[in-house]
Amino acid sequence: MKRFLLALLLAVSAASAAPEAGAADLPSASEVIKQIDRNMTFETRTMTITMASVNPRRTREFTMIAYGRGETEAAIEYTAPAREAGTRMLRKDDELWMYMPSVEKTQKISGHMLRQGMMGTDVSYEDMMAAGDLESDYDAKITAVEDCGAEFAGRQCWKMELNAKDPSISYPRRVAWIDTEYKIMARQELYAVSGMLLKKWTMSDVQKFDDGRYFPMKMEIADQLQQGTKTTLTFKDVKFGVDLQEEVFTMRWLERK
Amino acid sequence: MWLLVGLAARNALRNVQRTMLTALTVVFGTALLTLALTWEHGVFGNITQLAAAGAGHVRLVDPDYAQREDLFPLYENVPDVEAAVKRVSAVDGVTSAYPRIVSGVTLSAGEEIGDVFGLAVGAPLDWYTEILDVDAHLVEGRMLENDDEIVLGSTLVKKTGVKLGEELLVLGLTQDGAMSPVKGKVVGIVHASNALIDQQVYLTFPKVQYMTDMDGAATEILVYGEDYWDAADLRDAVKAGGAGGALQVEAWSDREPWSGILATFTVIQTILSGIIVFITALGVWNTMMMSVLERTGEIGVMRAMGLGRMGAVSLFVMEALAIAAIGGLVGVALGAIPAYALEVYGVDLGERIVQNAGDVPFSARMHGDLSWGVAVDAFLLGLLMAVVGSGPPALRAASIQPVAAMRSRR
Repeated sequence: MKRFLLALLLAVSAASAAPEAGAADLPSASEVIKQIDRNMTFETRTMTITMASVNPRRTREFTMIAYGRGETEAAIEYTAPAREAGTRMLRKDDELWMYMPSVEKTQKISGHMLRQGMMGTDVSYEDMMAAGDLESDYDAKITAVEDCGAEFAGRQCWKMELNAKDPSISYPRRVAWIDTEYKIMARQELYAVSGMLLKKWTMSDVQKFDDGRYFPMKMEIADQLQQGTKTTLTFKDVKFGVDLQEEVFTMRWLERK
Repeated sequence: MWLLVGLAARNALRNVQRTMLTALTVVFGTALLTLALTWEHGVFGNITQLAAAGAGHVRLVDPDYAQREDLFPLYENVPDVEAAVKRVSAVDGVTSAYPRIVSGVTLSAGEEIGDVFGLAVGAPLDWYTEILDVDAHLVEGRMLENDDEIVLGSTLVKKTGVKLGEELLVLGLTQDGAMSPVKGKVVGIVHASNALIDQQVYLTFPKVQYMTDMDGAATEILVYGEDYWDAADLRDAVKAGGAGGALQVEAWSDREPWSGILATFTVIQTILSGIIVFITALGVWNTMMMSVLERTGEIGVMRAMGLGRMGAVSLFVMEALAIAAIGGLVGVALGAIPAYALEVYGVDLGERIVQNAGDVPFSARMHGDLSWGVAVDAFLLGLLMAVVGSGPPALRAASIQPVAAMRSRR
């Protein structure tokens, strides 16, 4: 009986010690977040984006050229379809402007409009123009090692909980699955302060660039507040560290005829 | 019977002062009823007529659009609307059918994009002129002629500061929710002192189709028949013919706020008429009771000679009806004078009521509607006053015992 009790005690102790041993194997969240930021942030970047938006009624496709410089400057010019061609957007610091060529007017996008779907897609204006690093916006914690799932199925991911340092930002809480090799998010879930799931992002088609970074060439976003919608962003001609004309991030560029 | 009628007439003339008092009570009551019913019919008629014109006697929409209409879910639209309009137009009883798109927009005049909110309406030009009578309310300029023109309600003119001939930017949304601007020259300004006309931006149908990115589609099909009060029959005819397909077919009176407003108006009319009838009946009751008390002995003799309880009741009710018939005619005639003035000149309720009316198309100046129907209603209610007022005294007369009555010597 004594032997049995001793064996039981040992088994219980071993079982309770196991998670701690697992947690100790997990990497530091801040180190992982730094690596993610190294992959996703840039000094300058250009790319062509094809944005396909699907809703229960129809599918639309937009093409645009995007320019980015650091975390505070971004610009987008729509090239297709004809209805939207020539529409430009400019983000400088915390301000976002949109030029509408059909009426030759510029509209400042502010307040709640920033969180509306850009061109009626699942991607908000804020999502599209965001380039900030996660490290400065979130406190992160790695909670488990799991299968990445979705497009990265069969690969190992760290499950990471990110809680915003400032709860007023668009997504105060994120749960992300970070590919242990690429150090990019394989997928993420974005939550509101209330805990409501707002969006799901899934990345795929990871490409390694000359500067050593990994970058997903395709993202699929599903707004969980809409039924039956999803938006796919496909990136082409992605170039990091390119020389960009100073004019691109000016109101003159935005409103040029 | 004729004996009772003759007796009732003779009794009415026995005390002229009392009869005059009874008649004056009825005159006052029916005159007041004529005026009240004229006003109520006018206000109610004005609102319902505008509502049915703006909403369509019958409307065909996607069921999901109807459910979330306040949010303008443009994606829940009627595709191939031209074919749908043709199908509905062929239904018996349909006099016309029009596609329409209504969408929330912001308006700006000048360089800066402003924050004046309005409702952009896109419909065929003949819907504006033949159904909504927008052209009848033009205070400046003219109606739309092409896609680059805008007619603007006066409330929005005031808010945006735009002037006739100037350019106005209308920032709307596509059916997918993307920002979609259009601009046009303001060629007309309308003022009708009602929210339905004055707070809208009128554009051509193709222009709003472009703005909302709804090529070949519309959010609603508005269907009209001969009389908007027959909308329920028209709705059934459209449904029966299958012209609506999977669309929701609804009469204007089925829809909120109108179904609620219709019920409310019926209650208001009943309460208003009831109060007037009750107060007037009190006056009739008073004078008729005096008559019963005065003639207790006489009634006793008549009861002793064989007049039954019903006969005693009929005697007083007929007397009251005879007085009320004459008083009612005079009352309707007298009430018709201010009622006619109310119909011609109306009453200015102020612009604030228009702004606070929400979806209800209140007009700042409301007119009465004096009709033969109103006169007949007031007259019949006058007779009802007589019956109600003379009832208790007549029942008292019927309960008089001949011996006790004759002993009282009255």
